[in-house]
Amino acid sequence: MDSEDPQERPDGITNIINGLERYNPEASATSRIIYQLNPDRVKDEVITNILVKALTCFPSPQFSLALHLIPPSVLAPANTRNEELPEAVSKLRQLNDQLQGSQYARFWATLDSDDLYADLTTDIEGFEELVRVRIATLVSHAYREIDLPILEQWLGMDGDAAYKFITETAGWTVEGGLVKIPKNPENEAKKSEVREDVNVDMFSRVIRRAWEETA
Amino acid sequence: MSGLRNGAVPARAMEDDSDVEEEALVADYKEQVQYEDGMEDLERVSSLTMAQQADDIQSRLVQAAQPLDFSAPLETKFQSYDSYCNLFHFILNSEGPVDIEPPSHYWAWDVIDEFIYQFNSFSSYRLRIARQARDNEEERQILRENPNTWGCYSVLNVLYSLIQRSQISEQLAAMKRNEDSAAVAGEYGSKTIYRMLGYFSIIGLLRVHCLLGDFSLALKTLDDIELNKKAIHILVYVSRTKNFQKNAQYDSITKKNDQMYALIAICVAFHPTRLDDTIHTALREKYGDQLLKLQRGGPESLPIFEELFRAACPKFISPVPPDFDNPEANVDPIDHHLSIFMDEVKTNMWSPTVKSYLRLYTTMDLKKLAGFLEVQPEELRSLLLVNKQRTKQLRWTDQGLLDGEWVNVSDLDYALQGQAFLCEPSAFQSVAVLTEDW
Repeated sequence: MDSEDPQERPDGITNIINGLERYNPEASATSRIIYQLNPDRVKDEVITNILVKALTCFPSPQFSLALHLIPPSVLAPANTRNEELPEAVSKLRQLNDQLQGSQYARFWATLDSDDLYADLTTDIEGFEELVRVRIATLVSHAYREIDLPILEQWLGMDGDAAYKFITETAGWTVEGGLVKIPKNPENEAKKSEVREDVNVDMFSRVIRRAWEETA
Repeated sequence: MSGLRNGAVPARAMEDDSDVEEEALVADYKEQVQYEDGMEDLERVSSLTMAQQADDIQSRLVQAAQPLDFSAPLETKFQSYDSYCNLFHFILNSEGPVDIEPPSHYWAWDVIDEFIYQFNSFSSYRLRIARQARDNEEERQILRENPNTWGCYSVLNVLYSLIQRSQISEQLAAMKRNEDSAAVAGEYGSKTIYRMLGYFSIIGLLRVHCLLGDFSLALKTLDDIELNKKAIHILVYVSRTKNFQKNAQYDSITKKNDQMYALIAICVAFHPTRLDDTIHTALREKYGDQLLKLQRGGPESLPIFEELFRAACPKFISPVPPDFDNPEANVDPIDHHLSIFMDEVKTNMWSPTVKSYLRLYTTMDLKKLAGFLEVQPEELRSLLLVNKQRTKQLRWTDQGLLDGEWVNVSDLDYALQGQAFLCEPSAFQSVAVLTEDW
């Protein structure tokens, strides 16, 4: 997964970048600077939408990179001018910790625990489906077979809906209580070769150092 | 600074966009740039005759590269800002390129370096004053009334304008393609002073974006500069020459040196990798205990990560002026960035433990491993997934600095099957290839 790919970019930024980048490479930088330096002119929604979109790119640094850009004072608990944003951001941060930490069952439970989450994610089309597909992809990288009940918890669905997702969207097979995941380069567990190219010039350093130590 | 709007990249770049919100932001931006402090000074300067300016300019150039005393009074800091505005206005907005030679070989670097250093320390100072509600009422008042002095807009504007005027990005791109850079340099960029200022403004932008916490943009600004893994070589150089250099400048090099080692310790703890012997020895000498704790992971490693991060991070600044009416709201930007960094540290803190067990077995029942680690099977599954995902890294090859290819960087790989995991044991294979390029 290439998290820097424009398709993975937060919507708010994508619009700006796609609109202008072709004409001026500095444009995307500029728009981000303008957002960064004008927190009071940017709607809360824009910030939370960018964060929610970045959530769906896990595991990647996109979410924390976006957090770094929010001026520190905006998130301060003592920020009396806007009390909603710090709360929303801290809720999204919890979701991000769960996704980055592969605690998928807990993620769905958290998402269901408060109506605020539905409000926050509503603008990102297909948010739950995006997360589900990411989880399935990551599971396929690590697993060859997995217990159905565990996978259901991780996908935040069960019964027919889960069966449909597993067999149709993911294309896997269910045998008894087990889900079989086809082999792919990631779940082979093959010996990796650590390779280092050494040229003669680098060897001369070793020799020189040996000489320096005895000299 | 008012004159800079003509050459300002940001203002021009935004004209294409029809979005209303954007327009409002741009209007606000233009307003801020136009009604900058130092405007009167600018007019005074432009009314001077060319002859007077020529006499005057050399001393101003020299002055601009001089370090400002850290404890200089607020008034001096404001004056210094005005002088920079005047100087850059003169260089950027005279009719055509100005005909001056830099006073010394290092001048352009020194000027950009000092300009950003003063911006950085001014911002930190202003935040400190804003957090102390009771004292310094006079200074608070001055700072509150002049939010744009040493503002991010102005500083970024100067750097972007210098880069644009000098066509330095185009010149560097041409050099990369082995073409003649003079062909794309333009009337400004062909002059030494513009070329040098433009080049070092790119480095300056890297610094400013880092200070503001925009790390990916910071890397992107370096796309045009040829990097060749020099950083490590600098550490080797410093370690080789440390016995020959003992002076004030060397003290600051030592400090930077230690900070680089602290960062390397953090990186190595996150993603174990083999280091150059010299570096590894020095790292163990300097941060041996800390490194051991970092590599062991778990909750005990967290304070060490914090300690090293604080010691080595830049003096982050907030992109916006502080809120003088609400002292508690002015969070120290270092705390802000540290807490975000620690989120990722916490996610990974069990990876060293998990790995140490995985190395011992080729197949194992998950419940048994969970018992060893004293965690629930559910937790263990998360830990295994986290560890597996972090073995993939985007490795830079030779494209843009944010691009690269995904590679497996671990010497250990595994897959999970039902209640067990299968693991290729850590037969650490190293293949040395001798290439003959005499």
